[in-house]
Amino acid sequence: MLRFNRVFRDGGGFDSTLVMLALGYLVVFSAFPLVYNLVMSFQNVDLFTLASFDRPFVGFDNYKAVIGDPAFVPILQNTALFVALSVFLQLSIGFALALFFQLEFPGASWLRGLFLAGWVLPGLVAGALWGWILAGDFGVLNHVLQQLGLSSGKIFWLSDPEVSLYSIIIANVWLGIPFNMILLSVGLAAIPDDVYEAAALDGASRLHRFLTITLPLMRAQLGAVISLGVIFTLQQFDLFAALTQGGPSNSSNVLQYWAWQMSFQEYRIGNGSVISVLMILFVVFVAYFYIRSTRNEHAG
Amino acid sequence: MLAKNQWLRWVLLAVAICLVGLYLFPVYWMYVTALKPDVETFRNPPTFWPHEPNFRVAEVWVQYRVGSYIRNSVIIALGTVAFVVTLGTGCAYVLARVRSVWMDVVLFIVLMMQVLPSSLMITPIFVAYSQIGLMDWPRTGVILAQAAKVLPLYIVLVRATFTQIPRELEEAALVDGNSRLGAFCFIAVPLARNGILVTAILIFMQSLGEYVYSRSLISDSAYQPATVGLQFLVGRTSSDWTGIMTYAAIYVTPILILFVALQRKIVSGLTSGALK
Repeated sequence: MLRFNRVFRDGGGFDSTLVMLALGYLVVFSAFPLVYNLVMSFQNVDLFTLASFDRPFVGFDNYKAVIGDPAFVPILQNTALFVALSVFLQLSIGFALALFFQLEFPGASWLRGLFLAGWVLPGLVAGALWGWILAGDFGVLNHVLQQLGLSSGKIFWLSDPEVSLYSIIIANVWLGIPFNMILLSVGLAAIPDDVYEAAALDGASRLHRFLTITLPLMRAQLGAVISLGVIFTLQQFDLFAALTQGGPSNSSNVLQYWAWQMSFQEYRIGNGSVISVLMILFVVFVAYFYIRSTRNEHAG
Repeated sequence: MLAKNQWLRWVLLAVAICLVGLYLFPVYWMYVTALKPDVETFRNPPTFWPHEPNFRVAEVWVQYRVGSYIRNSVIIALGTVAFVVTLGTGCAYVLARVRSVWMDVVLFIVLMMQVLPSSLMITPIFVAYSQIGLMDWPRTGVILAQAAKVLPLYIVLVRATFTQIPRELEEAALVDGNSRLGAFCFIAVPLARNGILVTAILIFMQSLGEYVYSRSLISDSAYQPATVGLQFLVGRTSSDWTGIMTYAAIYVTPILILFVALQRKIVSGLTSGALK
């Protein structure tokens, strides 16, 4: 007993206990669902077999059903467009703002921090706000566009299949800008001033300095921010629920929302699992790059 | 270089204020709409300042049962924070102090668990809950799942706090005859309390806005949080936008006040963890 006490209080037992507490929890509530998801993707799971432990295995039938679904290819394309455009716009606007707030003026860092107010809003509230701004008849965005002469008629942002996906991208970019900007600001602040001063003495222009100093030194940061952007964009669910529910007729649907619809609206739970498995594989692949890029920075 | 030109500094400040104003316009629009009477809300052209301010807070609070929804949100958020702080603090401490291959593996697993999207994890969680009967305690189910979702972020951020505390203080305590448990509880945790508190608040704010798990696991509206209640309002075709914006304003004003009060600490806590 005394020995047990000493190991637990002073030795490796102390470390392992603390780590196992958290890790055990994650294994039960994160790792187990992952594995279970994989199992279910090979089973026939619907409302009748939901609570049973003995469900028929159906091989790759669920995979065939999902990939053969006529909605699969359009939704896959939507997802790719949603991620690519969101990440690109978040990154470029966020980077531009980070560079701007790097300039010296009173209150720069405090004002920059205010942007995070958008980030702390619950996604669903942000969705509701944008739903009102984008509303076809009384939305303020249509009014502003018409006043500026940018559009002649009213754009039905949420109900027109041509633009519904873009309205979600607009809201998603709005949500993602603060995070991109703050992380990139940290990287910019870490670049020592004398590097720029030396280059300025050598007569390098601002653009030249940006391309030859800022960008190369920010490479690790940009890699991390892009990977995080892809991960967060693939996690985006609330905006779809608040704005379009994937419609009209799947024109703004993406895989992560489709997976949920399969499981919780159509009760084709096996099919929902298939989409989840495919998406999770992709997310983990991106996460690997993120972790690697932060590690490299750590070492260097 | 810029100090040469005082004017430029003020011009930049003006531009910065415009940028912040433009960015925060949706939040402003929420408050303005909440204050307008219905007639003014649907006026064309829209007014950018409420001419006949009209407080509907009390009415909306009763009509849409905002009180019950927000109480559930707070219960879920507090439960999540309690779980995460209890389970995560020790793990973060060990990951900050012990360097070994095993700890690298643990850190890698934790980082990987951080990226799993809730909307994809909910399917297996829902089925497993149905099988073991956890659907009878829906809020507890949401708390358990949400805690697993945010635990990795908590560990990563608090670990960054612990690495900033010099370990000499703990070593001195050990020499004085303290156990490791004592050094952890009475030296390390008190020194890291600011970081722990800020991270806990961050987790609290995130869980206050949790939607996917609550929507999928809680079917009785008496237990649903504010996000789900808001979604049902937005989803209706005939939309009472003043009411929705009032609802949203009631819901997020405390979050925004908390954020402005702690802005600096949240920003620095967030940046230290995400890139280290």
